[in-house]
Amino acid sequence: MIRLENMLPRAFLVGIMKMVDMSGPLETIRWMQSIGEELAVIEGPGFEGARMDTDIVYLPISPFGNEVVEFSRIYEKPEQFSEIIGTMSNLKTKSAAPWEFPAMSHVLDVLQHSYNQKRAELAGTRFYNLGSKSPLGDVRQYNTEAIERAGMSKENVAEILDKAFFVYFIEHPEKE
Amino acid sequence: MNPIEAERLYENSVRILKKNQHEKGGFYASPPGTRYPFIYPRDHSMCIYGAVEAGLMDEARKGLEFILNSQKPLGEFSQRYDVDGNDASYKELQIDGNGLVLFVMGKYFKATGGSFYEEMADKAFVASHWETIEKAVQFILMNKNEEVNLIHTINSIHEYPAYEHGFEIYANCACCAGIYAAVDMGKALGKDVSVWEQQADIIRQAIFTRLYSPRRRSFVKCIRVKDKNSKPIGYDSFASIVHDVDAVEYAPAYFELISDYDIKTVSTVRRIHQQLWDSEIGGLNRYPEYWGRNNGGYGPWCHFTCQLANHHIETDNREMAENYLDWVVDMAHEYTLPEHVSTIERFELWLEDYTNGKILRDSKVKLIEDIRAHPKWRDGLAYVTIPLIWPHAEFIISYKKYRDKFHPA
Repeated sequence: MIRLENMLPRAFLVGIMKMVDMSGPLETIRWMQSIGEELAVIEGPGFEGARMDTDIVYLPISPFGNEVVEFSRIYEKPEQFSEIIGTMSNLKTKSAAPWEFPAMSHVLDVLQHSYNQKRAELAGTRFYNLGSKSPLGDVRQYNTEAIERAGMSKENVAEILDKAFFVYFIEHPEKE
Repeated sequence: MNPIEAERLYENSVRILKKNQHEKGGFYASPPGTRYPFIYPRDHSMCIYGAVEAGLMDEARKGLEFILNSQKPLGEFSQRYDVDGNDASYKELQIDGNGLVLFVMGKYFKATGGSFYEEMADKAFVASHWETIEKAVQFILMNKNEEVNLIHTINSIHEYPAYEHGFEIYANCACCAGIYAAVDMGKALGKDVSVWEQQADIIRQAIFTRLYSPRRRSFVKCIRVKDKNSKPIGYDSFASIVHDVDAVEYAPAYFELISDYDIKTVSTVRRIHQQLWDSEIGGLNRYPEYWGRNNGGYGPWCHFTCQLANHHIETDNREMAENYLDWVVDMAHEYTLPEHVSTIERFELWLEDYTNGKILRDSKVKLIEDIRAHPKWRDGLAYVTIPLIWPHAEFIISYKKYRDKFHPA
């Protein structure tokens, strides 16, 4: 059900579809990244989520889970979203730093990851997304290069994903 | 009250404060390896206040440096930080943090002056952080609703939006007192802070009218409003009053916005005592049991018991003051205080409710193990999160006040 007061999250998701139609998936990715980074600057340095004793951060709940589930009931799997995920996958494959990419389980991970990474950068660190779980079902994605860089195994990450939707690693350049 | 035991608890509380300050200045909410090994501005601020009262001025200053340098770009202080001062929050706005940081900075500033306030107060420190103070005040005022002249928040002291989302009393008192502290510091530096003073007066007046129920003869917990900019707020989908008793309805006096002798304070404290003093194990509960969020089992909290002891000390009611402080001294285990105390029976009831409702998340499992493993379990008591640093700071504040009043050197 849409009411004017709660239409904004859904409008943003529809906006992503329209943006892909108008400008293509690559421009849409850049657009979302620029939004994430701008909001990160306003919020300042930091790492949102539960923290383990190590430099592992995880999100026990999916930040946009409710909106994503509600949206999928209407639009199911929009073709434009698949284009974004496919483009991100290609970019990662061609990149010299594939560990910098999100473990994509939804298009909104582009926004979320750019926001997280920028906040981590402001804190003088680097932030890797090791794995994620879709709010639409127990579908898991991993960034194997990021997992390797964090010195972990896929099994370690999977174990954390049992109780979380996103798993991250904070890398401290000064400790290297 | 056993004076020797009380004195030992005081001395150990000072030691605990010192021991739980990270080298970068942050006071842990609970020691590393326990439940809250982060720096929470609310707990941290009270530790700074405790440090000031204990005469640990270097530690207080270091604590202030830490938190002032961790302010977010818009002027907010987050729910929690890691030891490096990076935002590590996972909850929404808790604006009382802004008020608390300013309030305890004011305490530090005045304490550095002593009886030679003007001449000796640490003006250089305040001047070096003036921009941060300005942003902190502006952030508070950014969240002020112009219809009721109160500050809007999502979480407050209990981190429980169901009862705190809106215009909540603790957050409003902390913010109002924080602005007054900023005004005092600004005046000492020769700044024009007349607009802030005017705003603080307006908020204070709104607390005394909107958040006081003449019929109940008590301050009330919260005007529940979803959106701070709802206009008119009467149309807001949450619009309602939380008039249940809460220990923090004492906040107007705790933050020195009203006298402890004022009838509003006296009748509020009476209601708190009547409804929240635990008839089975003593001590003061924080809110009614039926609110349902009673991690580890419903029971009394050390730091709220200390806060209300202040009222009885201020009003010369030595017997009540000793009842309250005596309970805290009695509850200390090896001169260390827990967050709160429950009974095995209540612990099991809570566990059943949370298990049955499927809301027992992973982080609570460690809490449960710790409660069952604590030596007090064998006495039939559930000690929840021990040590929590905050109650030690509150004990320092209230015990020192008690000692100065009833046992002056």
